[in-house]
Amino acid sequence: MNNDPSADGRLARELRQLLVAIEATGRALLPASNLELLQTVVDAAARIFGAAAASICLVDEADQVLEFKVAYGAGKDEILGMRIPIDRGIAGYVANTGQPIAISNVQQDPRFNQEFAKSTGYVPRSILATPLIIGDRVIGVMEVLDKISAPSFGMQDMELLGVFAQQAAIAIDQSQQMDELGRAVLHGIDQLLENNGSDRPTRIRSEVEAGTEEERARRRDMLELAGLFFEISQTGEAEKQACLRILTAFREYLRSRPSFSSNE
Amino acid sequence: MSGSEPSDEILRPAWSSQFSAETLQQISSAGPIAEITREWAWGGSTGKGIRVAVIDSGIEHDHPAVGGSIRGGTIVEFDRRTKSQLRFNQDDRPADIFGHGTACAGIIHSIAPEAELYSVRVIGRDLTGKAMQFAGGLRWAIEHEMNVVNMSLSTSREEFYGLFHELADEAYFKGVLLVSAVNNIPAPSYPSLYSSVVSVAAHEGHDPFTFFYNPTPPVEFGAPGIDVNVAWLNKSYSTSTGNSFAAPHITGIVALIRSKHPDLTPFQIKTVLFACATNARPAPAVPGDAGKNPA
Repeated sequence: MNNDPSADGRLARELRQLLVAIEATGRALLPASNLELLQTVVDAAARIFGAAAASICLVDEADQVLEFKVAYGAGKDEILGMRIPIDRGIAGYVANTGQPIAISNVQQDPRFNQEFAKSTGYVPRSILATPLIIGDRVIGVMEVLDKISAPSFGMQDMELLGVFAQQAAIAIDQSQQMDELGRAVLHGIDQLLENNGSDRPTRIRSEVEAGTEEERARRRDMLELAGLFFEISQTGEAEKQACLRILTAFREYLRSRPSFSSNE
Repeated sequence: MSGSEPSDEILRPAWSSQFSAETLQQISSAGPIAEITREWAWGGSTGKGIRVAVIDSGIEHDHPAVGGSIRGGTIVEFDRRTKSQLRFNQDDRPADIFGHGTACAGIIHSIAPEAELYSVRVIGRDLTGKAMQFAGGLRWAIEHEMNVVNMSLSTSREEFYGLFHELADEAYFKGVLLVSAVNNIPAPSYPSLYSSVVSVAAHEGHDPFTFFYNPTPPVEFGAPGIDVNVAWLNKSYSTSTGNSFAAPHITGIVALIRSKHPDLTPFQIKTVLFACATNARPAPAVPGDAGKNPA
Protein backbone atom coordinates (compact mmCIF):
# COMPACT_ATOMS: atom_id res chain seq x y z
CA MET A 1 0.00 0.00 0.00
CA ASN A 2 1.08 3.48 -0.78
CA ASN A 3 1.68 5.55 2.34
CA ASP A 4 2.85 8.62 0.50
CA PRO A 5 1.22 11.61 2.29
CA SER A 6 1.05 13.65 -0.91
CA ALA A 7 -0.81 10.78 -2.62
CA ASP A 8 -3.22 10.70 0.33
CA GLY A 9 -3.73 14.43 -0.07
CA ARG A 10 -4.62 13.95 -3.73
CA LEU A 11 -6.98 11.12 -2.83
CA ALA A 12 -8.64 13.30 -0.19
CA ARG A 13 -9.08 16.11 -2.71
CA GLU A 14 -10.61 13.80 -5.29
CA LEU A 15 -12.96 12.32 -2.70
CA ARG A 16 -13.97 15.75 -1.56
CA GLN A 17 -14.80 16.78 -5.13
CA LEU A 18 -16.76 13.56 -5.59
CA LEU A 19 -18.79 14.16 -2.42
CA VAL A 20 -19.56 17.74 -3.39
CA ALA A 21 -20.62 16.55 -6.84
CA ILE A 22 -22.92 13.95 -5.26
CA GLU A 23 -24.43 16.55 -2.96
CA ALA A 24 -24.88 19.07 -5.77
CA THR A 25 -26.50 16.45 -8.00
CA GLY A 26 -28.91 15.68 -5.19
CA ARG A 27 -29.58 19.37 -4.71
CA ALA A 28 -30.24 19.85 -8.43
CA LEU A 29 -32.68 16.95 -8.57
CA LEU A 30 -34.34 17.41 -5.20
CA PRO A 31 -35.21 20.46 -3.15
CA ALA A 32 -32.62 22.01 -0.85
CA SER A 33 -34.12 19.76 1.73
CA ASN A 34 -36.69 17.15 0.91
CA LEU A 35 -38.93 18.84 3.47
CA GLU A 36 -39.62 21.49 0.86
CA LEU A 37 -41.01 18.90 -1.52
CA LEU A 38 -42.96 17.18 1.28
CA GLN A 39 -44.45 20.54 2.18
CA THR A 40 -45.56 20.96 -1.43
CA VAL A 41 -47.21 17.54 -1.37
CA VAL A 42 -49.01 18.28 1.91
CA ASP A 43 -50.18 21.72 0.76
CA ALA A 44 -51.45 20.30 -2.53
CA ALA A 45 -53.24 17.42 -0.80
CA ALA A 46 -54.95 19.74 1.69
CA ARG A 47 -56.17 22.03 -1.10
CA ILE A 48 -57.37 19.22 -3.35
CA PHE A 49 -59.27 17.47 -0.55
CA GLY A 50 -60.57 20.73 0.85
CA ALA A 51 -59.08 19.82 4.23
CA ALA A 52 -58.63 22.17 7.16
CA ALA A 53 -55.26 20.62 8.01
CA ALA A 54 -52.75 18.06 6.77
CA SER A 55 -49.44 16.62 7.88
CA ILE A 56 -46.69 14.09 7.30
CA CYS A 57 -44.95 12.31 10.15
CA LEU A 58 -42.02 9.94 9.74
CA VAL A 59 -41.25 6.74 11.63
CA ASP A 60 -38.27 6.78 13.99
CA GLU A 61 -37.85 3.06 14.58
CA ALA A 62 -35.07 3.39 17.13
CA ASP A 63 -37.13 5.60 19.43
CA GLN A 64 -40.46 4.00 18.47
CA VAL A 65 -42.03 7.36 17.73
CA LEU A 66 -43.58 9.25 14.87
CA GLU A 67 -42.18 12.73 14.27
CA PHE A 68 -44.21 15.39 12.48
CA LYS A 69 -42.07 16.85 9.72
CA VAL A 70 -44.41 19.03 7.69
CA ALA A 71 -47.90 20.36 8.26
CA TYR A 72 -50.54 22.60 6.77
CA GLY A 73 -53.42 24.53 8.28
CA ALA A 74 -54.91 24.30 11.76
CA GLY A 75 -52.41 23.45 14.50
CA LYS A 76 -49.47 23.59 12.09
CA ASP A 77 -47.00 25.46 14.27
CA GLU A 78 -47.71 23.40 17.36
CA ILE A 79 -47.44 20.03 15.69
CA LEU A 80 -44.20 20.52 13.75
CA GLY A 81 -41.41 18.57 15.41
CA MET A 82 -43.83 16.82 17.76
CA ARG A 83 -42.98 13.18 18.52
CA ILE A 84 -45.73 10.75 19.48
CA PRO A 85 -45.41 7.10 20.58
CA ILE A 86 -45.94 4.73 17.69
CA ASP A 87 -48.56 2.72 19.60
CA ARG A 88 -50.97 5.64 19.93
CA GLY A 89 -53.49 7.39 17.75
CA ILE A 90 -54.66 7.02 14.19
CA ALA A 91 -51.19 7.70 12.79
CA GLY A 92 -49.80 4.97 15.05
CA TYR A 93 -52.36 2.49 13.78
CA VAL A 94 -51.49 3.28 10.17
CA ALA A 95 -47.73 3.02 10.84
CA ASN A 96 -48.25 -0.32 12.55
CA THR A 97 -50.50 -1.93 9.97
CA GLY A 98 -49.54 -0.20 6.72
CA GLN A 99 -53.26 0.25 6.09
CA PRO A 100 -55.05 3.52 5.38
CA ILE A 101 -58.11 4.37 7.44
CA ALA A 102 -60.83 7.02 7.31
CA ILE A 103 -62.51 7.83 10.59
CA SER A 104 -64.92 10.51 11.71
CA ASN A 105 -67.45 11.45 14.31
CA VAL A 106 -65.51 10.14 17.28
CA GLN A 107 -67.09 11.21 20.51
CA GLN A 108 -66.12 11.05 24.17
CA ASP A 109 -62.59 9.97 23.47
CA PRO A 110 -59.84 12.27 24.70
CA ARG A 111 -57.23 10.00 23.15
CA PHE A 112 -58.62 10.45 19.67
CA ASN A 113 -55.82 11.95 17.68
CA GLN A 114 -54.22 13.16 20.87
CA GLU A 115 -51.21 14.43 19.02
CA PHE A 116 -53.27 17.39 17.85
CA ALA A 117 -55.65 17.72 20.75
CA LYS A 118 -52.96 17.75 23.43
CA SER A 119 -51.02 20.76 22.31
CA THR A 120 -53.38 22.65 20.07
CA GLY A 121 -56.80 22.14 21.58
CA TYR A 122 -57.84 21.35 18.03
CA VAL A 123 -59.82 18.13 17.85
CA PRO A 124 -60.62 17.15 14.28
CA ARG A 125 -64.03 15.74 13.36
CA SER A 126 -62.71 13.59 10.53
CA ILE A 127 -59.35 12.08 9.60
CA LEU A 128 -58.00 10.27 6.60
CA ALA A 129 -54.61 8.69 7.19
CA THR A 130 -52.50 6.65 4.80
CA PRO A 131 -49.05 5.07 5.05
CA LEU A 132 -45.92 6.23 3.22
CA ILE A 133 -44.41 3.01 1.94
CA ILE A 134 -41.02 2.24 0.42
CA GLY A 135 -40.85 -1.37 -0.73
CA ASP A 136 -42.63 -3.19 2.05
CA ARG A 137 -41.57 -0.78 4.80
CA VAL A 138 -43.80 1.89 6.31
CA ILE A 139 -41.64 5.00 6.67
CA GLY A 140 -44.32 7.47 7.68
CA VAL A 141 -47.95 8.52 7.70
CA MET A 142 -49.77 11.24 5.81
CA GLU A 143 -52.97 12.65 7.30
CA VAL A 144 -55.61 15.06 6.07
CA LEU A 145 -58.08 16.41 8.63
CA ASP A 146 -61.58 17.82 8.46
CA LYS A 147 -62.90 17.78 4.95
CA ILE A 148 -64.66 21.10 4.66
CA SER A 149 -67.35 20.03 2.18
CA ALA A 150 -68.36 16.73 3.85
CA PRO A 151 -68.62 15.16 7.30
CA SER A 152 -66.13 12.42 6.43
CA PHE A 153 -63.56 11.27 3.90
CA GLY A 154 -64.75 8.62 1.48
CA MET A 155 -63.11 5.69 -0.24
CA GLN A 156 -62.29 7.81 -3.30
CA ASP A 157 -60.40 10.16 -1.00
CA MET A 158 -58.53 7.18 0.42
CA GLU A 159 -57.45 6.07 -3.05
CA LEU A 160 -56.43 9.59 -4.05
CA LEU A 161 -54.47 10.28 -0.88
CA GLY A 162 -52.57 7.07 -1.64
CA VAL A 163 -51.27 8.73 -4.83
CA PHE A 164 -50.00 11.73 -2.85
CA ALA A 165 -48.45 9.45 -0.27
CA GLN A 166 -46.65 7.56 -3.01
CA GLN A 167 -45.10 10.80 -4.30
CA ALA A 168 -44.04 11.80 -0.80
CA ALA A 169 -42.50 8.36 -0.18
CA ILE A 170 -40.54 8.53 -3.46
CA ALA A 171 -39.22 11.99 -2.53
CA ILE A 172 -38.10 10.78 0.89
CA ASP A 173 -36.55 7.65 -0.59
CA GLN A 174 -34.55 9.58 -3.22
CA SER A 175 -33.35 12.09 -0.71
CA GLN A 176 -32.27 9.38 1.72
CA GLN A 177 -30.47 7.50 -1.05
CA MET A 178 -28.56 10.63 -2.03
CA ASP A 179 -27.50 11.17 1.58
CA GLU A 180 -26.42 7.58 1.82
CA LEU A 181 -24.38 7.72 -1.36
CA GLY A 182 -21.98 10.24 0.18
CA ARG A 183 -21.72 8.21 3.37
CA ALA A 184 -21.12 5.06 1.33
CA VAL A 185 -18.16 6.65 -0.47
CA LEU A 186 -16.49 7.54 2.83
CA HIS A 187 -17.33 4.16 4.30
CA GLY A 188 -15.93 2.47 1.19
CA ILE A 189 -12.58 4.23 1.48
CA ASP A 190 -12.41 3.32 5.17
CA GLN A 191 -13.02 -0.32 4.28
CA LEU A 192 -10.34 -0.28 1.59
CA LEU A 193 -7.73 1.08 3.96
CA GLU A 194 -8.76 -0.45 7.24
CA ASN A 195 -6.23 -3.33 7.26
CA ASN A 196 -3.34 -0.99 6.81
CA GLY A 197 -2.65 -0.72 10.53
CA SER A 198 -2.09 3.01 10.32
CA ASP A 199 -4.10 6.16 10.91
CA ARG A 200 -4.45 6.72 7.15
CA PRO A 201 -8.25 6.21 6.98
CA THR A 202 -8.79 8.70 9.78
CA ARG A 203 -6.32 11.14 8.28
CA ILE A 204 -7.84 10.94 4.82
CA ARG A 205 -11.34 11.23 6.19
CA SER A 206 -10.46 14.33 8.19
CA GLU A 207 -8.79 15.85 5.13
CA VAL A 208 -11.89 15.08 3.09
CA GLU A 209 -14.14 16.65 5.66
CA ALA A 210 -11.97 19.71 6.30
CA GLY A 211 -10.94 21.21 2.98
CA THR A 212 -9.62 24.74 2.57
CA GLU A 213 -11.71 27.87 3.03
CA GLU A 214 -11.61 28.33 -0.73
CA GLU A 215 -12.96 24.83 -1.25
CA ARG A 216 -15.73 25.37 1.27
CA ALA A 217 -16.70 28.60 -0.50
CA ARG A 218 -16.72 26.82 -3.85
CA ARG A 219 -18.88 24.08 -2.35
CA ARG A 220 -21.38 26.66 -1.12
CA ASP A 221 -21.49 28.26 -4.58
CA MET A 222 -21.97 24.92 -6.26
CA LEU A 223 -24.81 23.95 -3.93
CA GLU A 224 -26.45 27.32 -4.44
CA LEU A 225 -26.22 26.89 -8.18
CA ALA A 226 -27.71 23.40 -7.92
CA GLY A 227 -30.50 24.73 -5.71
CA LEU A 228 -31.24 27.53 -8.20
CA PHE A 229 -31.34 25.04 -11.02
CA PHE A 230 -33.81 22.89 -9.07
CA GLU A 231 -36.00 25.86 -8.29
CA ILE A 232 -36.10 26.95 -11.93
CA SER A 233 -36.70 23.42 -13.19
CA GLN A 234 -39.68 23.14 -10.83
CA THR A 235 -41.46 25.91 -12.73
CA GLY A 236 -41.63 23.79 -15.89
CA GLU A 237 -39.75 21.88 -18.57
CA ALA A 238 -39.50 24.93 -20.87
CA GLU A 239 -37.98 27.01 -18.06
CA LYS A 240 -35.52 24.24 -17.25
CA GLN A 241 -34.43 24.00 -20.88
CA ALA A 242 -34.08 27.80 -21.10
CA CYS A 243 -31.90 27.76 -17.99
CA LEU A 244 -29.70 25.04 -19.48
CA ARG A 245 -29.41 26.96 -22.77
CA ILE A 246 -28.40 30.17 -20.99
CA LEU A 247 -25.75 28.38 -18.92
CA THR A 248 -24.44 26.49 -21.96
CA ALA A 249 -24.25 29.71 -23.99
CA PHE A 250 -22.40 31.41 -21.13
CA ARG A 251 -19.91 28.54 -20.97
CA GLU A 252 -19.35 28.77 -24.75
CA TYR A 253 -18.79 32.48 -24.44
CA LEU A 254 -16.22 31.94 -21.66
CA ARG A 255 -14.49 29.24 -23.65
CA SER A 256 -14.22 31.54 -26.61
CA ARG A 257 -12.33 34.10 -24.49
CA PRO A 258 -8.55 33.57 -24.60
CA SER A 259 -8.17 34.07 -20.84
CA PHE A 260 -10.69 31.36 -19.86
CA SER A 261 -9.34 28.82 -17.43
CA SER A 262 -10.73 26.68 -14.65
CA ASN A 263 -8.80 28.66 -12.02
CA GLU A 264 -10.45 31.98 -12.76
CA MET B 1 -48.95 9.88 -14.41
CA SER B 2 -50.48 10.62 -17.79
CA GLY B 3 -53.07 13.37 -17.87
CA SER B 4 -55.12 11.40 -20.38
CA GLU B 5 -56.16 8.67 -17.96
CA PRO B 6 -59.90 8.43 -17.43
CA SER B 7 -60.78 10.17 -14.21
CA ASP B 8 -63.07 7.37 -13.00
CA GLU B 9 -60.02 5.13 -12.58
CA ILE B 10 -58.93 7.42 -9.80
CA LEU B 11 -62.38 7.92 -8.38
CA ARG B 12 -63.15 4.24 -7.97
CA PRO B 13 -60.72 2.34 -5.71
CA ALA B 14 -59.41 -0.89 -7.15
CA TRP B 15 -60.34 -2.87 -4.07
CA SER B 16 -64.03 -2.11 -4.11
CA SER B 17 -64.68 -1.65 -7.83
CA GLN B 18 -66.09 -5.14 -8.33
CA PHE B 19 -68.89 -4.44 -5.83
CA SER B 20 -70.11 -1.13 -7.29
CA ALA B 21 -73.61 -1.04 -8.79
CA GLU B 22 -72.20 -0.66 -12.34
CA THR B 23 -69.86 -3.64 -12.24
CA LEU B 24 -71.53 -6.05 -9.85
CA GLN B 25 -72.14 -9.39 -11.57
CA GLN B 26 -75.02 -11.75 -10.92
CA ILE B 27 -73.87 -15.26 -10.07
CA SER B 28 -75.76 -18.46 -10.68
CA SER B 29 -75.93 -21.63 -8.62
CA ALA B 30 -76.99 -25.02 -9.92
CA GLY B 31 -78.51 -28.15 -8.38
CA PRO B 32 -78.72 -28.48 -4.60
CA ILE B 33 -76.49 -25.44 -4.10
CA ALA B 34 -79.22 -23.28 -5.62
CA GLU B 35 -81.57 -24.54 -2.94
CA ILE B 36 -79.52 -23.29 -0.02
CA THR B 37 -81.37 -20.41 1.61
CA ARG B 38 -80.33 -17.91 4.23
CA GLU B 39 -83.04 -19.33 6.47
CA TRP B 40 -81.45 -22.78 6.23
CA ALA B 41 -77.93 -21.38 6.57
CA TRP B 42 -78.29 -19.24 9.68
CA GLY B 43 -81.97 -18.68 10.45
CA GLY B 44 -82.44 -18.59 14.25
CA SER B 45 -78.69 -18.79 14.95
CA THR B 46 -76.96 -16.52 17.46
CA GLY B 47 -73.44 -17.84 17.05
CA LYS B 48 -73.71 -19.74 20.35
CA GLY B 49 -70.77 -22.02 21.12
CA ILE B 50 -68.55 -20.56 18.40
CA ARG B 51 -65.09 -19.28 19.28
CA VAL B 52 -64.02 -16.26 17.24
CA ALA B 53 -60.50 -14.85 17.38
CA VAL B 54 -59.94 -11.22 16.45
CA ILE B 55 -56.30 -10.75 15.44
CA ASP B 56 -55.83 -7.02 15.75
CA SER B 57 -54.95 -4.21 18.17
CA GLY B 58 -56.76 -5.85 21.12
CA ILE B 59 -60.39 -5.56 22.23
CA GLU B 60 -61.72 -3.24 24.94
CA HIS B 61 -63.29 -6.00 27.04
CA ASP B 62 -65.83 -3.78 28.82
CA HIS B 63 -67.01 -1.84 25.78
CA PRO B 64 -70.81 -2.05 25.58
CA ALA B 65 -70.54 -2.95 21.89
CA VAL B 66 -68.99 -6.32 22.75
CA GLY B 67 -71.52 -6.95 25.50
CA GLY B 68 -69.42 -9.14 27.77
CA SER B 69 -68.69 -11.67 25.03
CA ILE B 70 -64.92 -11.64 25.56
CA ARG B 71 -63.67 -15.00 26.86
CA GLY B 72 -59.93 -14.35 26.86
CA GLY B 73 -57.01 -13.80 24.58
CA THR B 74 -53.32 -13.19 24.25
CA ILE B 75 -50.84 -10.41 23.59
CA VAL B 76 -48.15 -11.46 21.16
CA GLU B 77 -44.93 -9.51 21.56
CA PHE B 78 -41.69 -9.51 19.64
CA ASP B 79 -38.81 -10.68 21.81
CA ARG B 80 -35.37 -11.23 20.31
CA ARG B 81 -34.23 -13.16 23.39
CA THR B 82 -36.56 -16.10 22.84
CA LYS B 83 -35.97 -18.85 20.29
CA SER B 84 -39.22 -18.15 18.48
CA GLN B 85 -38.60 -14.39 18.88
CA LEU B 86 -42.12 -14.19 20.28
CA ARG B 87 -43.63 -13.94 23.73
CA PHE B 88 -47.27 -14.73 24.50
CA ASN B 89 -48.94 -13.06 27.48
CA GLN B 90 -52.31 -14.36 28.53
CA ASP B 91 -54.88 -11.58 28.32
CA ASP B 92 -58.11 -12.40 30.14
CA ARG B 93 -59.36 -8.82 30.38
CA PRO B 94 -58.01 -7.39 27.15
CA ALA B 95 -57.59 -3.74 26.30
CA ASP B 96 -57.21 -2.10 22.92
CA ILE B 97 -54.41 0.30 22.02
CA PHE B 98 -55.93 1.80 18.88
CA GLY B 99 -59.68 1.07 18.87
CA HIS B 100 -59.52 -0.88 15.62
CA GLY B 101 -59.85 -4.35 17.16
CA THR B 102 -62.78 -3.21 19.30
CA ALA B 103 -64.45 -1.88 16.14
CA CYS B 104 -64.12 -5.31 14.48
CA ALA B 105 -65.25 -7.19 17.59
CA GLY B 106 -68.29 -4.91 17.93
CA ILE B 107 -69.39 -5.68 14.37
CA ILE B 108 -69.02 -9.44 14.94
CA HIS B 109 -70.94 -9.22 18.21
CA SER B 110 -73.77 -7.25 16.59
CA ILE B 111 -74.28 -10.08 14.08
CA ALA B 112 -73.49 -13.11 16.27
CA PRO B 113 -74.33 -11.94 19.82
CA GLU B 114 -73.67 -15.28 21.50
CA ALA B 115 -70.34 -16.03 19.82
CA GLU B 116 -67.36 -16.09 22.19
CA LEU B 117 -64.71 -13.53 21.31
CA TYR B 118 -60.96 -13.87 21.88
CA SER B 119 -58.58 -10.93 21.58
CA VAL B 120 -55.26 -11.66 19.86
CA ARG B 121 -53.24 -8.46 20.03
CA VAL B 122 -50.36 -8.49 17.56
CA ILE B 123 -49.54 -4.84 17.02
CA GLY B 124 -47.83 -2.41 19.35
CA ARG B 125 -44.60 -0.47 19.77
CA ASP B 126 -42.06 -2.50 17.86
CA LEU B 127 -42.47 -2.36 14.10
CA THR B 128 -39.57 -4.71 13.45
CA GLY B 129 -41.31 -7.91 14.41
CA LYS B 130 -44.87 -7.11 13.47
CA ALA B 131 -45.24 -9.69 10.65
CA MET B 132 -43.84 -12.33 13.02
CA GLN B 133 -46.25 -11.25 15.75
CA PHE B 134 -49.10 -11.50 13.28
CA ALA B 135 -48.03 -15.01 12.23
CA GLY B 136 -47.62 -15.94 15.92
CA GLY B 137 -51.14 -14.69 16.65
CA LEU B 138 -52.55 -16.75 13.80
CA ARG B 139 -50.74 -19.84 15.06
CA TRP B 140 -52.14 -19.19 18.55
CA ALA B 141 -55.68 -19.03 17.12
CA ILE B 142 -55.21 -22.32 15.24
CA GLU B 143 -53.69 -24.08 18.25
CA HIS B 144 -56.48 -22.83 20.51
CA GLU B 145 -59.06 -24.32 18.12
CA MET B 146 -60.87 -21.15 17.19
CA ASN B 147 -63.77 -21.77 14.82
CA VAL B 148 -63.42 -18.49 12.97
CA VAL B 149 -60.53 -16.02 12.82
CA ASN B 150 -61.03 -12.39 11.81
CA MET B 151 -57.95 -10.76 10.32
CA SER B 152 -58.57 -7.14 9.43
CA LEU B 153 -54.89 -6.82 8.76
CA SER B 154 -52.34 -8.33 6.43
CA THR B 155 -48.69 -8.19 5.52
CA SER B 156 -47.19 -7.25 2.19
CA ARG B 157 -43.77 -8.67 3.03
CA GLU B 158 -42.88 -11.27 0.43
CA GLU B 159 -40.64 -13.22 2.77
CA PHE B 160 -43.69 -14.08 4.85
CA TYR B 161 -45.65 -15.47 1.90
CA GLY B 162 -44.59 -19.05 2.64
CA LEU B 163 -45.14 -18.92 6.39
CA PHE B 164 -48.63 -17.47 6.08
CA HIS B 165 -49.46 -19.93 3.32
CA GLU B 166 -48.43 -22.82 5.57
CA LEU B 167 -50.54 -21.42 8.42
CA ALA B 168 -53.54 -20.87 6.13
CA ASP B 169 -53.32 -24.48 4.94
CA GLU B 170 -52.99 -25.73 8.51
CA ALA B 171 -56.07 -23.75 9.52
CA TYR B 172 -58.01 -25.05 6.54
CA PHE B 173 -57.19 -28.69 7.26
CA LYS B 174 -58.04 -28.25 10.95
CA GLY B 175 -61.39 -26.66 10.13
CA VAL B 176 -60.46 -23.18 11.33
CA LEU B 177 -62.05 -20.69 8.95
CA LEU B 178 -59.95 -17.59 8.22
CA VAL B 179 -61.64 -14.36 7.18
CA SER B 180 -59.24 -11.71 5.88
CA ALA B 181 -59.71 -8.08 4.86
CA VAL B 182 -58.18 -7.25 1.51
CA ASN B 183 -55.39 -4.68 1.35
CA ASN B 184 -56.76 -1.13 1.12
CA ILE B 185 -53.97 -0.11 -1.19
CA PRO B 186 -53.51 -1.73 -4.60
CA ALA B 187 -50.70 -4.13 -3.69
CA PRO B 188 -50.65 -7.85 -2.84
CA SER B 189 -50.93 -8.78 0.81
CA TYR B 190 -51.09 -12.00 2.76
CA PRO B 191 -52.97 -14.05 3.78
CA SER B 192 -55.92 -12.37 2.00
CA LEU B 193 -54.85 -13.65 -1.41
CA TYR B 194 -54.90 -17.37 -0.58
CA SER B 195 -57.77 -19.49 -1.88
CA SER B 196 -58.30 -21.19 1.49
CA VAL B 197 -59.12 -17.82 3.04
CA VAL B 198 -62.39 -15.91 2.82
CA SER B 199 -61.21 -12.55 1.49
CA VAL B 200 -63.41 -9.50 1.93
CA ALA B 201 -63.49 -5.95 0.53
CA ALA B 202 -65.91 -3.12 1.24
CA HIS B 203 -69.09 -2.26 -0.61
CA GLU B 204 -71.09 0.92 -0.13
CA GLY B 205 -74.20 -0.58 1.44
CA HIS B 206 -75.08 -0.43 5.14
CA ASP B 207 -77.29 -3.47 5.69
CA PRO B 208 -75.07 -5.87 7.67
CA PHE B 209 -76.47 -8.93 5.90
CA THR B 210 -76.03 -7.60 2.36
CA PHE B 211 -72.93 -9.24 0.97
CA PHE B 212 -71.80 -10.09 -2.54
CA TYR B 213 -69.74 -12.80 -4.17
CA ASN B 214 -67.20 -11.69 -6.76
CA PRO B 215 -66.77 -14.29 -9.55
CA THR B 216 -63.42 -12.76 -10.55
CA PRO B 217 -61.23 -13.27 -7.45
CA PRO B 218 -58.86 -12.98 -5.61
CA VAL B 219 -61.28 -10.75 -3.67
CA GLU B 220 -64.21 -13.11 -3.17
CA PHE B 221 -66.69 -11.26 -0.96
CA GLY B 222 -67.94 -7.71 -0.51
CA ALA B 223 -69.56 -6.52 2.75
CA PRO B 224 -70.30 -3.11 4.32
CA GLY B 225 -67.09 -1.16 4.99
CA ILE B 226 -67.85 2.44 4.13
CA ASP B 227 -68.94 4.91 6.79
CA VAL B 228 -69.72 2.10 9.21
CA ASN B 229 -70.74 3.03 12.73
CA VAL B 230 -68.24 1.14 14.91
CA ALA B 231 -67.10 0.90 18.51
CA TRP B 232 -63.91 2.80 19.34
CA LEU B 233 -61.66 3.44 22.34
CA ASN B 234 -62.94 4.40 25.79
CA LYS B 235 -66.46 3.12 25.19
CA SER B 236 -66.87 5.58 22.34
CA TYR B 237 -68.10 5.08 18.78
CA SER B 238 -66.90 6.39 15.43
CA THR B 239 -67.74 6.29 11.76
CA SER B 240 -65.04 4.41 9.90
CA THR B 241 -64.16 3.37 6.36
CA GLY B 242 -61.93 0.54 5.16
CA ASN B 243 -61.94 -3.12 4.17
CA SER B 244 -61.10 -3.73 7.82
CA PHE B 245 -64.76 -3.23 8.70
CA ALA B 246 -66.10 -5.38 5.86
CA ALA B 247 -64.33 -8.56 7.01
CA PRO B 248 -66.01 -8.74 10.47
CA HIS B 249 -69.45 -8.66 8.84
CA ILE B 250 -68.59 -11.90 7.05
CA THR B 251 -66.92 -13.26 10.22
CA GLY B 252 -70.19 -12.69 12.11
CA ILE B 253 -72.24 -14.46 9.44
CA VAL B 254 -69.76 -17.37 9.39
CA ALA B 255 -70.13 -17.66 13.18
CA LEU B 256 -73.90 -17.91 12.73
CA ILE B 257 -73.52 -20.63 10.07
CA ARG B 258 -70.96 -22.63 12.07
CA SER B 259 -73.14 -22.47 15.17
CA LYS B 260 -76.13 -23.88 13.31
CA HIS B 261 -74.13 -26.35 11.17
CA PRO B 262 -71.08 -27.33 13.19
CA ASP B 263 -70.08 -30.13 10.80
CA LEU B 264 -69.52 -27.93 7.79
CA THR B 265 -65.90 -27.63 6.67
CA PRO B 266 -64.29 -24.35 5.58
CA PHE B 267 -64.86 -25.00 1.86
CA GLN B 268 -68.47 -25.98 2.51
CA ILE B 269 -69.00 -22.76 4.43
CA LYS B 270 -67.55 -20.79 1.54
CA THR B 271 -70.05 -22.56 -0.72
CA VAL B 272 -72.90 -21.64 1.63
CA LEU B 273 -71.74 -18.00 1.57
CA PHE B 274 -71.61 -18.16 -2.23
CA ALA B 275 -75.15 -19.59 -2.41
CA CYS B 276 -76.52 -16.98 0.03
CA ALA B 277 -74.79 -13.96 -1.51
CA THR B 278 -77.11 -11.07 -2.32
CA ASN B 279 -76.12 -11.23 -5.99
CA ALA B 280 -76.76 -15.00 -6.30
CA ARG B 281 -79.69 -16.52 -8.12
CA PRO B 282 -80.46 -20.06 -9.25
CA ALA B 283 -79.17 -21.07 -12.69
CA PRO B 284 -81.65 -21.49 -15.52
CA ALA B 285 -83.22 -24.96 -15.45
CA VAL B 286 -82.49 -25.49 -19.14
CA PRO B 287 -80.31 -23.48 -21.51
CA GLY B 288 -82.16 -20.39 -22.64
CA ASP B 289 -84.52 -20.44 -19.69
CA ALA B 290 -84.58 -17.09 -17.96
CA GLY B 291 -84.29 -18.82 -14.59
CA LYS B 292 -86.84 -19.78 -12.02
CA ASN B 293 -86.04 -17.00 -9.69
CA PRO B 294 -84.63 -14.07 -11.58
CA ALA B 295 -83.25 -11.30 -9.42
